[in-house]
Parts: sequence; structure tokens; C-alpha cells
Amino acid sequence: MPVITGLELSYFLILGALVVTAAAAVHMPGDLTAVIILSVFSVLSTVVFALLQAVDVAMAEAVIGAGFMTALFVTAIGKTRRSAGGKR
Amino acid sequence: MQNAAFVAAALVFAIGLHGMLTRRNMIRICISISVMESSLVMALVAVAYVPGGSAPIVSDGQTMFVDPLPHALALTAIVIGAGILAIALALTVAMYRHYGTTDVLAVFGKTREGQ
Amino acid sequence: MIRRVVPVAAGVFCLLLAAGFFLVLRGAVETGSGRDGPLLRDLFTTSSVDETGSVNVVTAILMDYRAFDTLGEATVIFTAVAVAAAILGKPRPTESQRTMGLLSRRLLSSVLPLFLLFPLFVIAHGHISPGGGFQGGVSLAVLVILIHVAFGDPFGQNVVPLRLLVMVEYGAALGLVAVGMLGIVQGASFLANLAAGFPSGTPGSLLSGGVIPVLNLLVGLKVAAGLSSLYIYLSGHEASRGDR
Repeated sequence: MPVITGLELSYFLILGALVVTAAAAVHMPGDLTAVIILSVFSVLSTVVFALLQAVDVAMAEAVIGAGFMTALFVTAIGKTRRSAGGKR
Repeated sequence: MQNAAFVAAALVFAIGLHGMLTRRNMIRICISISVMESSLVMALVAVAYVPGGSAPIVSDGQTMFVDPLPHALALTAIVIGAGILAIALALTVAMYRHYGTTDVLAVFGKTREGQ
Repeated sequence: MIRRVVPVAAGVFCLLLAAGFFLVLRGAVETGSGRDGPLLRDLFTTSSVDETGSVNVVTAILMDYRAFDTLGEATVIFTAVAVAAAILGKPRPTESQRTMGLLSRRLLSSVLPLFLLFPLFVIAHGHISPGGGFQGGVSLAVLVILIHVAFGDPFGQNVVPLRLLVMVEYGAALGLVAVGMLGIVQGASFLANLAAGFPSGTPGSLLSGGVIPVLNLLVGLKVAAGLSSLYIYLSGHEASRGDR
């Protein structure tokens, strides 16, 4: 019976949270909510990458997933919500 | 550790694919695409993992390293994913400007009316 | 009825696909583990310092062994910018743009130079510590986005004009090709590094690794210019006022 260390336990918890946040990002009502949850998902996967010793990938995922992609999504949502007469 | 990451990557991939197949809002489809892409990166990183290996930065006294080649591929995939996402969102904005909605089915209906 | 069935069927399909995904990954690992003899990863980690002068093996692969792929990736970003420009058209910054509050703007204007430090550090140390051209370049792009969000689009366009970004992108792409050509001129292959006689320096110091720091800088500039101009194209529109 292998002993599970605290680091491994937190790793498994983060993996579980990763799956939950992915499902929430796809299915939560409200687009902005989903985008913020997506950036939480990115941060969690950054931690997983760092635990799997992929430091370069972790850095790229942190910067792109949590920074750049969120900015793009929020901009696009802003561009597809404010319509001219407030209708639709 | 590796197996758990594989399971998580597979589940996240399934969630993303399911979202892409069933959601109607283009923004949600873009989110699903980036979730799927992230799961592929996770799979690559998990394949590269070696138990007991350290990060692939060579320094004295270390002999076990994780595989650096999938990391390079994953980096490329992440940056290209950002480019793909930008194009998808640009198409979404263009679609909204043209049809006034981001609902895919509504756009299908409007294109059918136009014929 | 059909509305209920389709998502469930899609869910079952996706779960089956996920099981297959898992089995493929498992199989990939098991096929590799049974071999004896030298593995590719050991080859990379043992010989990359001597062959490239870069301590960070991932950067060594990206900028030396597979530098041609990196050039292709830079092309992909360039294509993405071109496609976004073709779809969305020339950005027109609106006059009545919402900006952040006065305090945030005041604070940002004095802190922004410090923010610039991180991307520059990541790019300059790409071959000796985690990071490199891609990560630093994206942080630079995020910085440009921050200027746009905090001070409004017109100000952002004044500080970092789109023409400048486009010029930087062209220049970095030409620079990448020029560095590659330099390898041919020196008598080695395209994008060759130490084989073309570039000095390797002491591995682990700032100036080492032949052309790897130069390539890192060029890739960083190119990624920064490409991604921030993607954002500018996406944000530089009035929200469907005139057009329908």
C-alpha cells in the first residue's frame, strides 16, 4: 500500500478541481462567469504543470491562459452584447 | 501521478468536446475549444513526466530529468491555441455584426430564410 | 424528446472517446518504457549543453534543434493577425471610451516601467532559467493590453501605435530569417547555432548559447507584436453602431 504524501494529495485535489472547473466553464449560465472560471481553470492547470516539472509550459499557460485569453474573451463578449438599440 | 493526470486530461477533453457539440452560443464554443486544447497540453506534459525526474534545466548533480521534447511541443501548442482562439473570436464578432446574434442555430435559421 | 436525447448521446460518445484517449496515452507510455538503449530525452539532457550552450533544455529544443518549427509558429501568429485584420477591418478607436479610475491610472503610470521588467527578464534569461521568447513575448502583449484597458483605446493607440506593432512584427520576422541565413553564410545549415561557429560562451551565464538569446529576443518581440495587435483588432470596433 503506497503512502500518499501531502503533495500528492493536493495534486489529486487540484486535478479534481480542474475537471470541475472545466465542466463549470462550459456549462455555467452567464458568459462572463464562464470566462472567469476558465481563467481559474488555467491557473489550476498551471499548478499541475509545475507539479509535473514542466516549468516552461506552466509559465506559458499562466501568461496566456489567465492573462491573454481572458482579455480576448472579455473584449469579445463586450463586442457581442452592447447592441445599438439595446434590443436582442 | 501520471495516470491521474491522464484521467483528468481525458475527462477535460470529453467535457470540452461535449460542450462544443451541444452548446449553441459561439462564445461557449470558443471556451470549449480552449478547454480541449488545454487538456491536450496536459496530456503532453503528463506523457513527459518521469517519476523522480526534475525540471529540464541542467545543473550540477542532477541526472534524472523529465522529457523536454513534449514540453517544447506543448509550448508551441499553447501559443498557436491563442492564435486560433483570437481568430475564432474575431469570427464570432463578425457574425454578431452581420446577424445580430451569437447563437449558431439562429444564424442557421437566418441563412435558410435568406435563400 | 430529441432535444433530451442528443446531449445524453453526445455525453456517452464523449466519455467513450475519453476512455480511448486515456488508453492511447497509456499505450504511448508503455511502448516507450520497455525499450533498452538510449532514450531521446537522455540524449537531449546530456548533450544539449555541449551542443547548444543553453542550460534550459526546452529553450535549446525550441531555438536550436527545432528552430525551424519556431519560425513556422511565428508564421502561424502572423497569419492569425492577417486573418483577424481581414475579418474585422481597420480598428477605429471610439472617443467616449471608458477608462479605469483616476487612482488606478495614476498608480499604473508609475508602476508600468516595473511591470516591463518581468518580460524583459524572462526573455533575456530564456536560456538559463524557465521562460523564453514565447512567455516573455506574451507578457509584453498583456502589458500593451493593460495600457489599452487602463487608459482607453485612443491613448493606447498613441503610446503603442498599430503601425509600430506591425513594423516590429515585420522586423522580427525578417530578423529570424536573417539569423537563419547567417548560419548558411557561415557554412552550416539554416538556423544553425554552434555548428555555424557562433560563440557558445560559458553555459549558465547570461551571454551564452550562440544565437539562442538573439532568437529569444526576436521571437519575443514578434509574439508580443502579433498578440497585442490581435487584441487591438478585436477591441478596436464600435459595438455594431453603423453596420446593421
